[in-house]
Amino acid sequence: MKDPIRSFIQQAIVPEIFHSGHTPKLSGRTGGVLEKTVLRVVDFLKATVENDALASRTGFLQGTDPRIKCLSVVLLLGCALLTKSIVELALLYAACVTLAVFSSISLLFFLERTLLFIPLFSFFIVIPAIFNVITPGESVLSFKAFGAGLTITRQGIDSALIFFMRVLASVSLTILVMLTTRHHVLLRTLRIFKVPRLFVMTMSMCYRYIFLLLDVLHNTFIAIKSRVGYVTSAKTGRMLVAANMAGMWLRSYRLYGQVYDAMVSRGYTGEPIVLDNFKPHAGDYLLLAASLFTLIGTLWLNRFFR
Amino acid sequence: MAEPLFSLNDVSFSYQGSIAGLNGLDLAVARGERTAIIGANGTGKSTLLTLLDALIFPQKGRFTFAGKEITPRVMNDAAFQREFRKKVGFVFQNPDIQLFCPTVKEDILFGPLQLGVPVPEINRRLKSAVERLRLAPLLERSPHQLSIGEKKKAAIASVLVIEPEVLLLDEPTAGLDPQTVRDIIAVLQEAHEAGRTVVMATHDLHIVEEIADVIHVFGNNRTIIRSGAPEEILADTEFLQKHNLVHTHVHRHLHAHHAHVH
Repeated sequence: MKDPIRSFIQQAIVPEIFHSGHTPKLSGRTGGVLEKTVLRVVDFLKATVENDALASRTGFLQGTDPRIKCLSVVLLLGCALLTKSIVELALLYAACVTLAVFSSISLLFFLERTLLFIPLFSFFIVIPAIFNVITPGESVLSFKAFGAGLTITRQGIDSALIFFMRVLASVSLTILVMLTTRHHVLLRTLRIFKVPRLFVMTMSMCYRYIFLLLDVLHNTFIAIKSRVGYVTSAKTGRMLVAANMAGMWLRSYRLYGQVYDAMVSRGYTGEPIVLDNFKPHAGDYLLLAASLFTLIGTLWLNRFFR
Repeated sequence: MAEPLFSLNDVSFSYQGSIAGLNGLDLAVARGERTAIIGANGTGKSTLLTLLDALIFPQKGRFTFAGKEITPRVMNDAAFQREFRKKVGFVFQNPDIQLFCPTVKEDILFGPLQLGVPVPEINRRLKSAVERLRLAPLLERSPHQLSIGEKKKAAIASVLVIEPEVLLLDEPTAGLDPQTVRDIIAVLQEAHEAGRTVVMATHDLHIVEEIADVIHVFGNNRTIIRSGAPEEILADTEFLQKHNLVHTHVHRHLHAHHAHVH
């Protein structure tokens, strides 16, 4: 079956040139800056559209009352922060993967989203902690590097793994909420939990005008390319991008004002109101109970066994 | 004489304190009247509509709506602002800035929801606006996927569902195909029959006679240089040409050249 998201992107967002046989290659130094800028814009649009499409699918978390979903995730985030057990964190991540599968999210897509970037970045940050210089303890492996003796300790490996798994579980929980809740519903839910109006309003405005800004950005770079061609030196490309930054900023500022005016004109006062048919079901309370039970269990294990 | 719905006395406004938007403007719009604002680019038409929607305020002069002076302080009163927004609806020139929700349906619902219209009533209005503008197939689509004509109709629907007493429209038919223009004209005529006040900025002189009771012409000095009935102003070709509103178009019919105004 034809993927509606891909079809939409191909037809409406991504310029034809990127799908035709004439697609220019991202080749080394020539034209790289312009090409990459346009393609990153397209990538962002694609990711955003995919997220919204996922949140509209039929699935377990999509059907869960957003208030209960957010509360459950906050409780589970509490578990991830408080637990000192790698096994418990691994189970938490496994639960996230299971929830993703039951929420019609492709396993590969979810693993890619959760394992790359932030957890991987945190893994590199935590590497020094595995050595005896930072975490003294029982030696696992000793070697010489740059003329100095280094020892990897069991305690160091444990603390690094806990840190990595904690980040992984926390990022996964957050991504699950974002992928299964439509943006404006999420904002409405944040307000129910008394998140400051200014913060919610800023998030709301960002979402509303980012598409317009990307559209301007996209058109600007396409217009530049139509005049300078695909083959420009990296230096020229960088200069063109830099020269357009100021103009882009001014345009974005104007767009921000216009979008805000359009919202105010229809009665917006900073409090997002959506047609929320928030109706909790029995399954929602089950999720909440399970999250609460997990948090209490974590606290209990911390108190009596660690 | 009945009190005008909108009244502007010697109103001036400039952007960033230096770029003139309006200059000593006097205007009165009667309740239920259809007003067309015409003028060349950059003469202040959009600025006027933005001011009538209380999104900007006069830096000089007085602006009243239904007898009440509109100032930033008055608009800061939440209850008054809500009532004003219920009464005055503004269709922006660029539909892209007006359609900011993930789907067309959510965009149409945005206004009534913010203004506290009860949900059953919202659903009734949604159904009516969607049927009127034939938007049913577009409801679940993202506004970014629509054509310019579809976007314009969605933007109009997003204001019609508020059921305002006053409709402000900035270039509602610019760049649209003939059928979409006809749809929009029909909507404006229905709004008029329902007793709504319509104020529209346009360059499209072909439709003005059909949808306006009075025309105000803006000049380069950013104020009204002439007001009158459509048949009177549209008949004055010399005046329209002088103010860049029509041009003489020459084309060939077989072997003869033929000239007429557009």
